[in-house]
Amino acid sequence: MLVPLSYNLRSLFVRKSATLLTVLGIGATVAIVSGILALKQGFATMFTAGGRDDVAVFLRPGATSEGDSQFSRDRGLELIKTVPEIATGEHGPIASMEAYLAVLLSPVRGGVTNVPLRGVQPMTFELRKNELHIVEGRNFAPGSDELIVGKRLVGRIQHCAIGETIVLNKTPFKVVGVFEHPGQFGGEIWGDLDRLLTAMNRYGPNRIVAQLKPGTVIGSVDPKDVLTNDTPPEPKPGSMAARLEHDPSVPAKVYSEKEYLASQTVMLTGILGGLSFILGLIMGLAAVFTATNTMLSAIAARTHEIGILLATGFRPFPIFLSFLFESLVIGLVGGVVGCLMALPFNGLKAGTMNMQTFTEMAFAFRVTWQVLLSAVIFSLVLGLLGGAWPAWRAARLKPTEALRGRA
Amino acid sequence: MPSFKLVWRNIMRRPLRSVLTVASLMIAIFLICGLRTLITTINAGVEHADSRRLAVMSATGLFVELPMNYQAKIDRIDGVEMTTKFQWFGGYFRSLKHFFAQFAIDPVSLLAMYPECQLPPEQKAAFIANRTSCIIGDGLLKDPEMNWKVGDTVPLIGALHPHPDDKAWEFQVAGIYHSSVPSFDNRTMFIHWDYYEETLKRGGVEPGVGVFSIRVKPGADVARVIADVKDTFQDSDQRVDCQTEAEFQRQFVTMFGNIPLFVGWIGTGVLIAILLATINTMLMSMREQSSDIGVLKSLGFTDGSMFGHMIAQSLFLAVLGGGAGILLSWATQNAIANGLGANFPGFEVKNETFVLAAVVAIAVGIVAGIVPAWRASRLRCVEALRGTE
Amino acid sequence: MSEVMIRVNKVSKAYERGNETLVVLDQLSLEMAAGRFYALMGPSGSGKTTLLNLVGGLDQPDSGGLFVAGENLAELSSSELAHWRSANVGFVFQGFNLIPVLSAIENVMLPLSLTPLSRAERKKHAELALELVGLKDRMHHRPKQLSGGQEQRVAIARAIATDPKVILADEPTGDLDRASAQQVLELLSRLNAEYKKTILMVTHDPHAADYAQSIVHLDKGQLGRIEDKQPAARGA
Repeated sequence: MLVPLSYNLRSLFVRKSATLLTVLGIGATVAIVSGILALKQGFATMFTAGGRDDVAVFLRPGATSEGDSQFSRDRGLELIKTVPEIATGEHGPIASMEAYLAVLLSPVRGGVTNVPLRGVQPMTFELRKNELHIVEGRNFAPGSDELIVGKRLVGRIQHCAIGETIVLNKTPFKVVGVFEHPGQFGGEIWGDLDRLLTAMNRYGPNRIVAQLKPGTVIGSVDPKDVLTNDTPPEPKPGSMAARLEHDPSVPAKVYSEKEYLASQTVMLTGILGGLSFILGLIMGLAAVFTATNTMLSAIAARTHEIGILLATGFRPFPIFLSFLFESLVIGLVGGVVGCLMALPFNGLKAGTMNMQTFTEMAFAFRVTWQVLLSAVIFSLVLGLLGGAWPAWRAARLKPTEALRGRA
Repeated sequence: MPSFKLVWRNIMRRPLRSVLTVASLMIAIFLICGLRTLITTINAGVEHADSRRLAVMSATGLFVELPMNYQAKIDRIDGVEMTTKFQWFGGYFRSLKHFFAQFAIDPVSLLAMYPECQLPPEQKAAFIANRTSCIIGDGLLKDPEMNWKVGDTVPLIGALHPHPDDKAWEFQVAGIYHSSVPSFDNRTMFIHWDYYEETLKRGGVEPGVGVFSIRVKPGADVARVIADVKDTFQDSDQRVDCQTEAEFQRQFVTMFGNIPLFVGWIGTGVLIAILLATINTMLMSMREQSSDIGVLKSLGFTDGSMFGHMIAQSLFLAVLGGGAGILLSWATQNAIANGLGANFPGFEVKNETFVLAAVVAIAVGIVAGIVPAWRASRLRCVEALRGTE
Repeated sequence: MSEVMIRVNKVSKAYERGNETLVVLDQLSLEMAAGRFYALMGPSGSGKTTLLNLVGGLDQPDSGGLFVAGENLAELSSSELAHWRSANVGFVFQGFNLIPVLSAIENVMLPLSLTPLSRAERKKHAELALELVGLKDRMHHRPKQLSGGQEQRVAIARAIATDPKVILADEPTGDLDRASAQQVLELLSRLNAEYKKTILMVTHDPHAADYAQSIVHLDKGQLGRIEDKQPAARGA
């Protein structure tokens, strides 16, 4: 025979202040953890949303990111012409050399920050036609001193609006359009490759991106191994990656775009994941202690009632379940409160420094249903852990002693 | 308040509850110390900046190199006592797991301008004498795989500047420096500019300079020197930005974006959670003690002393938990610093942070005790004794 | 002995319960002599405990004058009342109300901590009081380790530790078995006889009331009859 659930619900209501304080405590914990998870989610979305399997990224061998990769313009052109896996469209190979540079600009809130600036070739827009959209104004004209800015920069960085002028070194560039991209490009400034190289006194692009013919297997090593293993494995022998690594004319390191992005986010994703785990663990522990305290005190105050339940013929196990249920309700309500506290963060823009390229990364908190679900599960775990020991103690009370009111 | 003994006995009345509360407080204070240290570490560079040092970089961005010949032009500006140059080498040892910063520099002027980089005289001499040598910060040695000694050879893969012979760069450790301030990174490697320049040129690459550092003459007008430096390069290929060292460091702080703000929010959340937990504990123990409070009042203890009695219990828990948290934070800071490594160099809990944590703990103790203490002081002993609180 | 220890002058006291006003004491006037043992009897709700609490300064009357041990209680602030209580009255409750976390002697020493006595003197006083109630050998026991009768005797020791003039007991035998109750009542009689304490004891039990020299009957907040017994009846 189970103890009626209404008994526990009513008890929670009778002890309002203790219940409320515990619920809010768990809520604060859950809110923090889900906030960090939302940040991680936003970050992951930004970096991997644009990551495609059919796009290859070519870097100089030994380079760790486009920041320290470098090609000369001639070699880049040669690579695009000679690699047979690159897909061809109406106007030639669907490939683009890209220059990548951080420029010092001022955020609206003050200070300075490094914003990624990307010089691209017209074929880029063919390559990105399904993911990148001009949402305001127009695209820059090839060969002109015009720029388009990622939507995430608008309102955050000064002069990132149509009609404004951004001076790069000594050359003024006019902002003519705003584009949207779900991935990292959405936080960048784009312009014509050659105009930007000239303006910035650079002699060549940083990387080459190209669309691959369907069915191409790159065979590169797992970028995570490259980052964390002391002796990264070699690319698969005979694969495209192995061949290009030792190409006599234009040696290059090649990844799929997806792999490349994963290699760039390994660190920060790891940090955010570790942070949410550590904070969740530590704060969760504190929340469990609070829940335990509340339940122990609830049980101490109701020892007499437990005695009556036992005397009426309830078995210890249903009593255990009954108190566990009570604690789970506290956890659940706390979880819901925490989710409600975390929800306003959804869409909030965040910017931080990419430790690998020292550029600012703009991304947004994303409170997805996965985040909310993990928050609720987390809160239930807190309730379960906090309630288990007190409920067990309640179930082990001897009816005679409980009736006398001795816990 | 009746006596400390009664306070202590009431805390031990529910040992488990007190232990859990103290443990929660400990965790919270530990977290607050850690979170606060993240922020103070980010700001450390600004605070320890030398007011006589200026930094010159490209106006476009830190990653744009300046021509080497700018140094001679800067040296000629009135008020400039000395200059030295830094260039990011951008290599790595074995893999990015062991990431650390390397700069190509001129040893004589660097060591003269940065007294915070402390090196025994014989190591200093050895570094200056050997062109292919390097000095490394003692913070690097904490990584067991980078526990180098003087005389060891360190191979670096040149990610930014590959060696022209398509092999790893090699540097002999001539000395191990100690940094006397947190703003001078103790996990950096410095190599000889001359050797760096010569090797790059062999591969057909013209090296550039990331940052020139200037020391102004004592008493010189810093604002005028800054203006002169900017003016000098107004019509050159690369315009420059010249800032005091503090401003230069601050730009790295702002690059952290709203991370410090988020860290602050997390800290606030931790604080709220622990405050609620402590209030909860105090309300529960107040409820259990209400009949005792009635008795004490009937014995002649005043309302005020009952207020003190409850606050004392709350404070006692807070001091215990806060003290434990501070101790924990103090004891683990080296381990945390090692764990963070190069991703977040310079993690060191400052004394001010410990003081702040202590103040926070005491404040939590007082605030959490106020409502129960106020209730205890207002408790009518007739009702308390009747048990109808 | 005709000195008046307690003078109740037209005291009224009412409680609000919901939106009803419950008059507990209605213009009650009463005098009690120093050094006598009074029992206060009456049906439930007649105002016995309320009167006891007023006399002990735990509560203030709505109107009227209360003079106890030479002090007009109505004029004292709550902290003055607290000081007055510590010097002049000792309480004994039905539920003993010892502080559970303190040992017997620590309970007895508690009111002494409000006096200027040194620690050693407080200890001596407390030991004396415990000796008087016959529990010196149990002084380091916690309340939980004592029987009900023993707990009540420790409570009496606590009530007399500061040597107050008045002892107020609210149903002191209500929770005790017959033998323990008898011990407690004999102890109260002895305190009255040997130490000349003025005792006011609320009780339901006619047996207990037998130990008193006067029985005051209250009914619906007003004075009923007062039975005076021969002072010699209990060998004073």
